Amino acid sequence: MTRASDTPMTAHRLGLIAVAVLLAGLVAVPVAVGDQFVYHIFITICIFAALSTAWNIVGGYAGQLSLGHAIFYGIGGYAGVILVNLGISPWIGMFAGAAVAVVAAIVVSWPCFRLHGPFFALATIAFLEVFRVLALHFRELTGGATGLMIPLKIGWEWMVFRERLPALLIAFGMLLVCLAVAWAIRSHRLGFYLVATRERESAAKAAGVGTVKVRLMAVAVSAALSAMVGTFHAMYLTFIEPESMFSLQFSIQIAMFALIGGIGTVWGPLLGAMLLVPITEFARGALGSEAIGLHGFVYGVVLMLVVLFLPNGIMGLVHRFTAAPGKTVGEQAAPVAAAPRSAEPREAGREVMRVEGLQKHFGGLHVTNDVGFTLREGEILGVIGPNGAGKTTVFNMLSGFLKPDEGKVSVLSPSGEWQQPVTPGDFASIGVGRTFQIVQPFAAMTVEENIMVGAFHRHPHVGDAREAARETAHRMGLGPYLNAEASSLTIGGLKRLEVARVMAMEPRILLLDEVMAGINQTDVRRAVDLMLSIRDTGVSIIAIEHVMQAVMSLSDRVIVINSGQIIAQGDPHDVVRDAHVIEAYLGKDFTHA
Amino acid sequence: MKLKSLLTATAAAALLAGAAHADVKFGALYPFSGGLALLGEESFRGVEIAVDEINAAGGIKGEQIELVRGDAVDNNQAIGEARRLISREGVKAILGTYSSSRSIAASQVAELSGIPYFELGAVADEVTGRDLQYLFRTNPTAETMGIMTIDMIVDEIAPGLGVAPEDLVIGVIHEDSAYGTSVAGHQERYGAEKGLNIATVQGYPTSTVDMSSLVLDLKDRGVNIVLQTSYQNDSVLFLNQSAEAGFEPDAIIGGGGGYSLTATAEAVGDKMDGVLDVDFTQYAVNTEFTPGLEDFLAAYQAKYGEDPRSGHSLNNYVGAMAVLEGIGAGEGFEPDQIVAAAKAIDIPSGATAAGYGVHFGEHNQNDRAMMMGMQWQDGKLVTVYPRDAAVAEFQIGD
Amino acid sequence: MDTFLQIVANGLMLGGLFAIVAVGLTLIFGIVKVINFAHGEFLMVGMYLSFLLSTGLDVHPYLTAAAVAPALFVLGALTQRLLIQPLMSARDEHVQIFATVGLSTALMNLALLIFGADIANTPAHGVRSQVMLGEVRILTGQLWVLAAAVALVIGLQLFMKKTRTGRAIRATAQNRAAARLMGINDKFIYILTFGIGAACVGLGSSLIAPLYPTSPTIGTYFVLIAFVCVVLGGLGSIPGAFFGALVIGLVDALSGFYIGSDLREAVVFTIFLLILILKPSGLFGTRMNLSHVSP
Repeated sequence: MTRASDTPMTAHRLGLIAVAVLLAGLVAVPVAVGDQFVYHIFITICIFAALSTAWNIVGGYAGQLSLGHAIFYGIGGYAGVILVNLGISPWIGMFAGAAVAVVAAIVVSWPCFRLHGPFFALATIAFLEVFRVLALHFRELTGGATGLMIPLKIGWEWMVFRERLPALLIAFGMLLVCLAVAWAIRSHRLGFYLVATRERESAAKAAGVGTVKVRLMAVAVSAALSAMVGTFHAMYLTFIEPESMFSLQFSIQIAMFALIGGIGTVWGPLLGAMLLVPITEFARGALGSEAIGLHGFVYGVVLMLVVLFLPNGIMGLVHRFTAAPGKTVGEQAAPVAAAPRSAEPREAGREVMRVEGLQKHFGGLHVTNDVGFTLREGEILGVIGPNGAGKTTVFNMLSGFLKPDEGKVSVLSPSGEWQQPVTPGDFASIGVGRTFQIVQPFAAMTVEENIMVGAFHRHPHVGDAREAARETAHRMGLGPYLNAEASSLTIGGLKRLEVARVMAMEPRILLLDEVMAGINQTDVRRAVDLMLSIRDTGVSIIAIEHVMQAVMSLSDRVIVINSGQIIAQGDPHDVVRDAHVIEAYLGKDFTHA
Repeated sequence: MKLKSLLTATAAAALLAGAAHADVKFGALYPFSGGLALLGEESFRGVEIAVDEINAAGGIKGEQIELVRGDAVDNNQAIGEARRLISREGVKAILGTYSSSRSIAASQVAELSGIPYFELGAVADEVTGRDLQYLFRTNPTAETMGIMTIDMIVDEIAPGLGVAPEDLVIGVIHEDSAYGTSVAGHQERYGAEKGLNIATVQGYPTSTVDMSSLVLDLKDRGVNIVLQTSYQNDSVLFLNQSAEAGFEPDAIIGGGGGYSLTATAEAVGDKMDGVLDVDFTQYAVNTEFTPGLEDFLAAYQAKYGEDPRSGHSLNNYVGAMAVLEGIGAGEGFEPDQIVAAAKAIDIPSGATAAGYGVHFGEHNQNDRAMMMGMQWQDGKLVTVYPRDAAVAEFQIGD
Repeated sequence: MDTFLQIVANGLMLGGLFAIVAVGLTLIFGIVKVINFAHGEFLMVGMYLSFLLSTGLDVHPYLTAAAVAPALFVLGALTQRLLIQPLMSARDEHVQIFATVGLSTALMNLALLIFGADIANTPAHGVRSQVMLGEVRILTGQLWVLAAAVALVIGLQLFMKKTRTGRAIRATAQNRAAARLMGINDKFIYILTFGIGAACVGLGSSLIAPLYPTSPTIGTYFVLIAFVCVVLGGLGSIPGAFFGALVIGLVDALSGFYIGSDLREAVVFTIFLLILILKPSGLFGTRMNLSHVSP
């Protein structure tokens, strides 16, 4: 929501006013017209917009394409109706349904999160089918195919009304709740984490995001909201059956409103539903009675056209018109504002990381063989070696992305105990930050938001995180691009963003994987200055580097890895004269040269 | 000429605005699109013919009837369309609905709005099981169907085969939507009451592409009477796969849907011969028992240029005629007047084109509604049960 | 025992039916990496074409494959060119799925518009006659379907391994960017693959049409089952999809008999989920790693 624009606040405010007007219209129009049918249409809009907004938390923010969301809607509906038949108000049934839906959501989603893209979608469809068949089968509970009805007890406590206004108000209230929750998530840490996880799962993990945890939270919230809407809709329908409650068609429709409105945006699902529900209703009226199938045919064709010509939905269209022309363009190699350094390098302090006897096999390949070393506080340790020597594999084991077959990595915690972190999250929380050799920006986020993902590690509140991110950005020379999309940066800019995101985590140990590859000479020098200034703040650094100039001027100590083994270590100038090292780099013939 | 068309357009616009006073409006709520559209449309034609007939005879209470269509494609939509008919179109009553779930959803809207709702075709018990004040149903129900099937076994099939009814091994199979499930439930319950041996009751999804396992299961259990409540695709599949598996029960009794359609018979060929069917009144029936049937057929052919595709139109026609004429005999078009008029309807059996009489009893269900037992003989579906309505003899056994 | 053998035979025959639908799907899913929800509707279109041609020209439905398969090839190629290709670069892969959902809805309703909801019966021309293998009864038509599926699998394997085009397709599937660097026109490969996948279904539909009544909604049941077979067999693996289909056919038939015909879908989908979660590379494990499928 924080798009670049010359006057972001005005654009933002205009947007909010527009949304407020639209929302007010949802209640005002039917009240003004006073027609039951119009009430019904607007209630339907509210229900679909609410469901779609809830779906969007999983399908949009977290990027997990669920086509089985009717599971939660159905659970809410059944819980509500079953309890009403036991004499319990749907206001209570609503929460009971939400609770069951949350449990179902976690059970269903947990195993599915290792699946990506289309596979996740297929798995959710399969779950939905299983739920539907089970609902048909267990007749004692669900009434089977014949469905369940509620007694027509009128009044607020039963959510059944003779007049339509109360139903509209409840539907509208639920929509507001869904929107508020969706907005709150998107503008707080959870939302940033979800989008980061969606864009680059490994980078998110490295930034200390519990990717499974945040997704489960998203699914749980989304399921609870869907179930609550389901309960209300069941009361509104007064009759439910497995065919309509656990319907694939319905699940697709919910997702489609979000898609057409703008997937992953807060207001997109609302816009999608507001536009499509009335069109669908009127199209059905106009075409439905013309010929069997005509309406469905037109519907399918329109869906294809929208997807083809509006792939980013209505919100994409809105942004195209509101985004200021010529946003932050310019030279991206702005100088790194490295603080002037004190002349004397500090003495290396106590040990902060111990690596002992790491072994790793990939199939028959012995990629890491007995790697061990220590890292001291405030030390810069250079790691060099030819391509394919296994440097990045070692890094992956130092940051939890790979588990060593043997050996251990111990890190000194801030409180002074030695710990052995296991997952990327463990490493991040004990203060180990890493970058990736192949840059992993969160493409859909701005530079500021990218850095904020790292900053959240120390600053859970958005304001503080933004502050910290800006500060880091300025330090890294990314100040002018705060509002630019990460995907618009050059490779040098992206490398710097990669470092900035890690720096914003305020790590005590920094693992840098070829941050200087592919950047120009001037930048290399600046980067060296930057690293030294980082080191001066007491951070220990392990840097894989190919740029020898940088390695020599940076490193307090150098490790040379070849074929998975450490073949030399020590003072940089001694190491480069080591016969083994020359042989590894240049071949046997050069050792005597 | 120009002025006239302008006036017509204005009048049409006025009509659309819901400000019509010229005629009395009734809503016709059926699934006109989506999967149920075929028989929804077929049902609607019956109502249309009834309205044409009444209008040609001068309307009711001197006013012409205007039918307003509503498309109940799903449950939420059924509610929306019921609202539209009531609030925008100002209909005096709604006729419908063919599908039970749409009927249940839409009728509660009518109930809460205090508008009478006449169900002419949906069979689920729940439709009238809710004790609504404004809901009436003219057609026979799933229960009627289940009872009729069992009666037919006890009265005709067992004697025809020369065995005691309790020695028959009966297998009940049904598509697993509300329709099949509720009919099968009644067959099971009522069969047990009559002391029949029901070996298995099994549901399956309508869209299935394979029933061979089910057929083998029936064969394995030594089932000799199969009761299937089904749509078209699954009827064809079952009859074909039974023949292919060498499963030859002594009798197959279909329940409505697929078994009454000529297309099904064409699809399976002579395997259909001798197959029984319990359904709404169809067309090969003793017309002494169903006065007006020939006129209905003639009217249908004149209007649509083809024969009716199923008995749904006939039953909706009969229901609509009874209800609309009943309203015409009443005090007026206010909801309570319509309800009073409906309650006063008293048409004896054998006096309508479907054979059954109309009288609303408990739960406002037509307690004279009945189904017919039919058999496919030489490529035709002929009525064989009850004997009053039969045009042919049962062909059972050797 | 006879019953058991009969169930196994029925299951295998059903598997052959699923296989002939799944083989085309695995090509599209494995190589173009698009979930084609309209695949079932391709089958439906093929069956209607076969019905129209065989009744109109009064020929054996099998002969109509000569026209139906090319027609479906065109339909598939057009789908890729006009609908999927413009979306290949979209940031959000979701949109492709929705595009095929739109196509599926449009095709199904178009059939409803043209043919009505009634079933259409393709004349059997003798393929519904039976052969007896001992006590086990099998339809000749089902045997033909199974034989055609086997032939299709072998033919496609040979095509993929032995021909230049086939190797280009495999190269594109493994690494699109690298293939492009090697001078392979990846867009053309995708169009070709989509076309071949659809043509496989076209062939299948001519064989299936005389066995099953055709209706506008027949595709919906097949498409989900076909996805199950594809995932079971390992994404993109043609023999995998075939054996996956046989397994699903057997599971379907056996669970229909021993568990109950109302729960067979639940059994099939539960097995599908277990495979997805526990062994996502499929029962017949290919090297392809699912986590690399999504960008």
